[in-house]
Amino acid sequence: MSATLIPETGSAASEMRRNFWRGVWRVMRRKPSRLVGVVIIAGFILMGVVGPMVLPEHLPSDTNAITQAPSWEHWFGTDPQGRDVLALVITGSRYVLLTAAVTAVITVVVGTAIGLFSGFKRGRWDTVLMRFTDMKLTIPGLPLLLVLATVWQFGSPLQMGLVLGLLGWGGVARAVRSQTLSLRERGFIEAARGLGLSTRHIIGKELLPSMAPYIAMNMLISVTGAVYSQVGLFFLGVLPYESDNWGVMLNLAVFQAGAMITPNALGYLLAPLLAILLLTLGIVLVVDAMDEIFNPRLREE
Amino acid sequence: MKRLAAVVALLGLATATAACSGGTTNKSGGSGGGGGGLFTTIDVNRPGLEASAPANPYNPKGNSFPGYSSMKLGWVVNHLTDPNKALPGLAASWELADDNSAITLKLQPNAKWSDGKPVTAEDVKMSIGIAYTQGSTAFSTTPGAAGAAAEVEVVDPQTVKITQDMANPSPKFARGVLDTTILPAHVWSSVLPADFWDKLKAARGEGADAEKAREEITGLGEKVISFAPPKDVSAGPFVLERVNPSEALLVRNKYFFNAANVAPAQVKFLNYTGNEQIWNYLTQGKLDHAGFTAAPTDVMNRIKAASGNEVIKGYSPVAVGMAFNQTKKPYDNVHVRRGLAYLIDRDQVTKVASPEGGTPAATTSGIHQKAAQAWIPETVPQLEQYKPDVAKAETEFKEAGLVKKDGKWTLSDGSPWKVSMHAPSGFSDWLSAQENIKSQLVKAGVDAEVVTTADYPLYLEELAAGKYDVGFWLMALGPAPYDIFQRLYGASNGWSNVAGKVTHSAPGKNNNWMGGPEEIEVDGEKINPGELTGQLNSADEQAAKPIMAKLAKAANQDLPVIQLWDYINAQFVNNNRFTGWPHDDEVLRMGTGVLPSGVWIQQGLIKAKQ
Repeated sequence: MSATLIPETGSAASEMRRNFWRGVWRVMRRKPSRLVGVVIIAGFILMGVVGPMVLPEHLPSDTNAITQAPSWEHWFGTDPQGRDVLALVITGSRYVLLTAAVTAVITVVVGTAIGLFSGFKRGRWDTVLMRFTDMKLTIPGLPLLLVLATVWQFGSPLQMGLVLGLLGWGGVARAVRSQTLSLRERGFIEAARGLGLSTRHIIGKELLPSMAPYIAMNMLISVTGAVYSQVGLFFLGVLPYESDNWGVMLNLAVFQAGAMITPNALGYLLAPLLAILLLTLGIVLVVDAMDEIFNPRLREE
Repeated sequence: MKRLAAVVALLGLATATAACSGGTTNKSGGSGGGGGGLFTTIDVNRPGLEASAPANPYNPKGNSFPGYSSMKLGWVVNHLTDPNKALPGLAASWELADDNSAITLKLQPNAKWSDGKPVTAEDVKMSIGIAYTQGSTAFSTTPGAAGAAAEVEVVDPQTVKITQDMANPSPKFARGVLDTTILPAHVWSSVLPADFWDKLKAARGEGADAEKAREEITGLGEKVISFAPPKDVSAGPFVLERVNPSEALLVRNKYFFNAANVAPAQVKFLNYTGNEQIWNYLTQGKLDHAGFTAAPTDVMNRIKAASGNEVIKGYSPVAVGMAFNQTKKPYDNVHVRRGLAYLIDRDQVTKVASPEGGTPAATTSGIHQKAAQAWIPETVPQLEQYKPDVAKAETEFKEAGLVKKDGKWTLSDGSPWKVSMHAPSGFSDWLSAQENIKSQLVKAGVDAEVVTTADYPLYLEELAAGKYDVGFWLMALGPAPYDIFQRLYGASNGWSNVAGKVTHSAPGKNNNWMGGPEEIEVDGEKINPGELTGQLNSADEQAAKPIMAKLAKAANQDLPVIQLWDYINAQFVNNNRFTGWPHDDEVLRMGTGVLPSGVWIQQGLIKAKQ
């Protein structure tokens, strides 16, 4: 009996998956801007993965072309060492994106776990965890990072991402908890409980999928937060110097090349800024699409 | 009642606005009163004005401006070889005994404080007492310190005689005395206890009592630093009127002894936090004078293009070198250091890092190239120039036992070698230089990296603790020969000079982070560079020259540092409102912390533009 059932569920599942991707495609096509968002993000991922492989580890510098204005040869000009600014942005993207990805994963995993647990369990655990979350939320992030930076050198993107992630899960935990609180009172959860299904099943199969879009969106938004924080820290000069880091580039553009005074250094200032702007734009557009993909009511419109 | 409150509030607002709007015009002959109008400048030594800081020259944040408000006995100038040359300050003239044993100062006969009281010899004596609490070259409680004063004697209300302790005399004793800030005794006397001079006498002795007395005197230092006079009482051409976070306003001191020749009626110090803010002021032509500020070529061109701006360049007795920690491998091998010297193109480094503020070092001699021409002109041509030469570098590296594998140099055992250079993160010219050196070395197959430290004090601390392999190091700090060479063969390289006795500590001990050899063979003769440097502390000009020649040769062949560039002193002035800017090297730079434009103004050099 069960042997005959399995292929059926299998095909139903694959059918659902196909429908889902078809839905995604439809949502994407309706607003071309969403496709642009996907292209931008894909472009950044490609840049972070392939860029440093294609470009030499130490970018060539030309001391006869120090801080040059944008030209055909150098689209965003050159830095005060005579290196191509665009190449610097590309090689620097790996650190920024990797940090952002690690931050996003940690934020979401920790935030969701704590939110789900305390929302579902309620009672004493909820109180303890939420007070802890409240406490964490009241600590201002940037000043804390500034203090941390004096004792810990964030040498690798993984370390940086870990710290940013551990500082950023508070908001997600709170949001997931409130979502859980509302969902657990719904009929389908009550039915699952009535059927005697395990807590693991209820959380894993019933609660999580209904919250997935919400979590995914939070994850993408935390990526932008992570980019801002780390670029900000590097800009302030509290983190170890890496010549191709976007934040360091912004710092050097203003304080070493004089981008606020001489137009020649404008490209050096604008290139990392544009990269951050584009990345944020890409994320916002994809989040917009996600909203519709996961929210059937919006899809009908 | 409500109406009254409104009127009071409005009046309060009006006064506040009036207080804030004062001194915002920047035109000569304006409402200033005294004729010359407003002079606008910055204090390059002190970024960030602190409105609540006291008018205390010893307070690191203090709103006291040496040359403008606070006065010294004399203003030591930037002479190539003579450390004792100075312009008169509160001392109108002085006589130095032939054997350097005493200096007799005659005060300015008309010198008065800004509250109208005369400046007397008692003020000078009390100020010397205060200088002891902070420790200075002439007024130090360290037993046997070179060039320390033995006796301070008030001869008459206008004359003070200071004798040098001849147990360990120094040729720059007069400099130490003249470079003393003079404070009004009627305001400051409370900071020193009544028995201060007895304590000082006790501190000069030996034993536990002396040690206790010394501690007490140093303990007074804190009290001095935090002392806040109720208002600024200065003897300089200006006196502090008010400070807010964006500017400090000084007005002319009508009691100043040369007040008739002081052109500006008011002086405004603008607040800044970083160089780029100073560039902004300069490109807008806002500043009448600004001291040396590093700027990239493009920015410099913009500054020069602003109406009335002029950049006056002069000699600065400072150089920067790439210093090695010789306790770390492979920098303990002289051939590695020489190989690196052949690989680094100093012209290129200077072009990238300090095109306007530096001249590429002619070679490593430990002395600024201009001073070297004055001190040891015959020795300079004999020194190895270390012109960029890859072949010579390879020979040196091979001699050191380094191995080239797949185009990359490794240590003799085949383990990777990375030249790790350190710099404080705010020093953009140093960072730029290291980044350039990195790319030059990488091109030649030597792996390299640049590492930053949060700030300069931390950098110096970690450097001294031996945490870095390679770091940048200020050197050649003239004009006194001892000061020049103690940067290479002083405490940082193991030789400490206490009471005229030079002792050597092993690498890694007592801040010896350079860890160089104790003896070096120069021209077939073994020399101890630290002891020779110690001799410079008491040698006169003629005796100093042969010693300096030997030390320059030692530095040149042993390379404890690779001298990269010699600094240029670039001063920014604006000719639209004031004229008469000096172009003489000697007065373009004064003692530590002194604002040279204040001295130019009080000497009557600066005139309002008609």
